[in-house]
Amino acid sequence: MRVLVQFRTSPEVHAATLRGEAMPSFAATAEAPIPGLVIDPAFNPVQVPTPQAAEPGASPYLYSPAVSFSLAPEEATYLVRGAVPDDPQGQRAALAEATARPEVVGVFADPAIGTCLVCPGDPAVGTDQDVADLLGVAALADAGMDGYRVPVAVVDTGINLAHLEGKGRDPKFSARRSWAPAGVATRPGKHPVGHGTMCAYDIGIAAPKATLVDLAVLLSQTPGETAMSGLLSDAVLAFSRLLGIVSGMAARPALVVNNSWGMFDPAWDFPVGHPGNYSDNPAHPFNVIVASLEAAGADILFAAGNCGRDCPDGRCRFGSTRPICGANSHPSVLSVAGVDTRKRRVGYSSQGPGRLDPAKPDLSAYTHFRGSGVYPADGGTSAACPVAAGVVAAVREQYPASVLSPAELRALLAKTAEDLGGTGFDHDFGWGVLDGTTLVAALAGVKRSRRRAPR
Amino acid sequence: MPRVMVTLRLDPSQATLPEVVGLLGLEPDEVDPGFGVVPISPAEHRYTILVDEAAATRIADAPQVEGVFGNPRIEGFGPDPGSGPAG
Repeated sequence: MRVLVQFRTSPEVHAATLRGEAMPSFAATAEAPIPGLVIDPAFNPVQVPTPQAAEPGASPYLYSPAVSFSLAPEEATYLVRGAVPDDPQGQRAALAEATARPEVVGVFADPAIGTCLVCPGDPAVGTDQDVADLLGVAALADAGMDGYRVPVAVVDTGINLAHLEGKGRDPKFSARRSWAPAGVATRPGKHPVGHGTMCAYDIGIAAPKATLVDLAVLLSQTPGETAMSGLLSDAVLAFSRLLGIVSGMAARPALVVNNSWGMFDPAWDFPVGHPGNYSDNPAHPFNVIVASLEAAGADILFAAGNCGRDCPDGRCRFGSTRPICGANSHPSVLSVAGVDTRKRRVGYSSQGPGRLDPAKPDLSAYTHFRGSGVYPADGGTSAACPVAAGVVAAVREQYPASVLSPAELRALLAKTAEDLGGTGFDHDFGWGVLDGTTLVAALAGVKRSRRRAPR
Repeated sequence: MPRVMVTLRLDPSQATLPEVVGLLGLEPDEVDPGFGVVPISPAEHRYTILVDEAAATRIADAPQVEGVFGNPRIEGFGPDPGSGPAG
């Protein structure tokens, strides 16, 4: 962990500051090193003016009433940059050693800073073509992976095929396998343009030849506050149909299931600890059917959610509790976080740990780009999820679940992701952002003889 | 009245709504017929039904019942619907 260490004045420090030099001979590093604290020798010490309270006994750090500042060498303190171990035990030991030294005023966090993260309502960053380039879609296509004949179920608000065709897409569609809850007036493939159509478009970035299956769960007529909501029981029905579909694919099972939805408010659920709870309870029937569908060979992807700490969606009601919950945190699914085309986490992307599986999100995919034309930006982890689902569908064209199980494919996606954030897994990005080019190289070693014959 | 999901362990031959209503002593209007008896883990003979909360409480101790679970609302994780379509 990067830190700033504030030292009291000393002749060595003052001399180094005056010369604009680093402090390789500074007492704390050379003559009496502080165990666990590594001082950055390339960082010139910075003199910190000392605040002086206006009245005796008052805190100089309240800044009201106004305080004065002293730059007198004998009163000033000096900041240097350093690092302490990342592991909690080592970190505690180093901080204890440092703060026990009389020459040390304090040790403070030195967090990474940067330009503002993308937040809900911000303009799009890049286009779907940028996403295709970053994903390595050309490498996937060159390896014969564009999702041809792979069914991808879009569990959402329904798909509008005419809109996709108007945007230059020519997706295959399975009306026979599609479904909508009772009472939905529009037909599969002809639902109003909305969230589900955005997802279908974004699947096509990496898997333009996939066969879309329209499950318009979020058009349910069951009571809800918005036009884009349903009940979990609607999703149970949809997953039951998918279970029937994948169970019928005995020879080469391949079914990708995109879920860009979840709960925004824990008040919609029984409390944690209640036996009927959904968010934290693997015995809930929806969490059971998710496990069952994955065991049958389906690849199930869930959006991590839009309740990131930096700028959560206004509908989020999780407060400081873990927002990745229920099936979105299931160990049998791929939970997808969102990054923009500059590879920066979008500020609303929910962070782990997950509730059912702490190691969430699994990985990140691109979002908040100009693409489907349904919204000014294809945004939310709702867009990141189908971007990832497209990559999974592309892979499944050549590597069905009989060759590479859903769990093995999730592991391979994580292993080949481009690491972002801290080294290895972290709760912002998971294992990093999807990288189709590295994935193709890794897949070359997977049981090639059992791949689908060239079409 | 809000409805909840009840998970059941059944012999597959019993996994029809008339059978389940009879087995559990439910009134027909206490069960969602559109939902039916949904297999959630066929290999383990596990199913779920959607019933009125009061009826679920009444049948909770039946030998076929594994548990009573919530049916929370779900919503898309996309742009806020208020952001509207692109121009």
